[in-house]
Amino acid sequence: MASRALAHCVRSIARASARLNEGNALTRSARASLVSTHRAISLMSCSQGTRWTELMRISGPSVQLCRHYGDLPPLTLESIHDRVMYVLKLYDKINPEKLQKASHFMKDLGLDSLDQVEIIMAMEDEFGFEIPDAEAEKLMTPAEIVQYIADKKDVYE
Amino acid sequence: MSRSDVLSLYRRVLRIARSWQSQSALPQDTDTERKYIVQEARTLFRQNLKITDPESVKRYIEECDARIEIGLHYRNPYPKPSYLPPMGLATQKGRKLRAQERLRKQAKPLYLQSHDET
Repeated sequence: MASRALAHCVRSIARASARLNEGNALTRSARASLVSTHRAISLMSCSQGTRWTELMRISGPSVQLCRHYGDLPPLTLESIHDRVMYVLKLYDKINPEKLQKASHFMKDLGLDSLDQVEIIMAMEDEFGFEIPDAEAEKLMTPAEIVQYIADKKDVYE
Repeated sequence: MSRSDVLSLYRRVLRIARSWQSQSALPQDTDTERKYIVQEARTLFRQNLKITDPESVKRYIEECDARIEIGLHYRNPYPKPSYLPPMGLATQKGRKLRAQERLRKQAKPLYLQSHDET
């Protein structure tokens, strides 16, 4: 008795929302949640088969559960490389013309170990994760930095 | 006591500067103090770059440690000022000047070693 009343209410809501055209994810998700709830009820009142087919038809092609999470866009090797180069160009002790992908900080660009520490700190700030000391001492070219960040962030090659 | 120790000390100072909050909690004070910490670390580390004998290196490392600890404890990155030693003001004549200089050098605290007061 209560199930029949509930089924009636659900059916009317679903019919009203079916008149709206697709496009809004909210109604789609609402319909999807409705579909999941009244799928259970349809088992109970399968005697009214004719009326349920309408709902099944609606729900058939367009059951898409949409959930939106907040996250940064996924990193690619290109984007990591661009960002690393951008940060390095902003550093005032580096000559932007001489900067290549494989230019060594100490040998080619004439920087110091203190400068290298500062550069790695700037990279940490840029990408938002910490680089431990032991690893940070070994990163001497931009290519190595890109490789390390790609390793840490699981970016496909 | 080695190169990597000094570098990790530098990194530690920079990391402290990244997350520093001033005691007054005003944003412009926090900003000023962060910039001060970075700038001070840079100048002092560069100034003492060429020193090679192990005693001085050890003393400068201890100085850096002392300044970090004092700064974190008092929430104040500026060096703590200290008094002149007693009988520390003399004239420009020879003997007393030398005694004064010796006395001042002895009385200078550890965390002010890199600073050069007249």
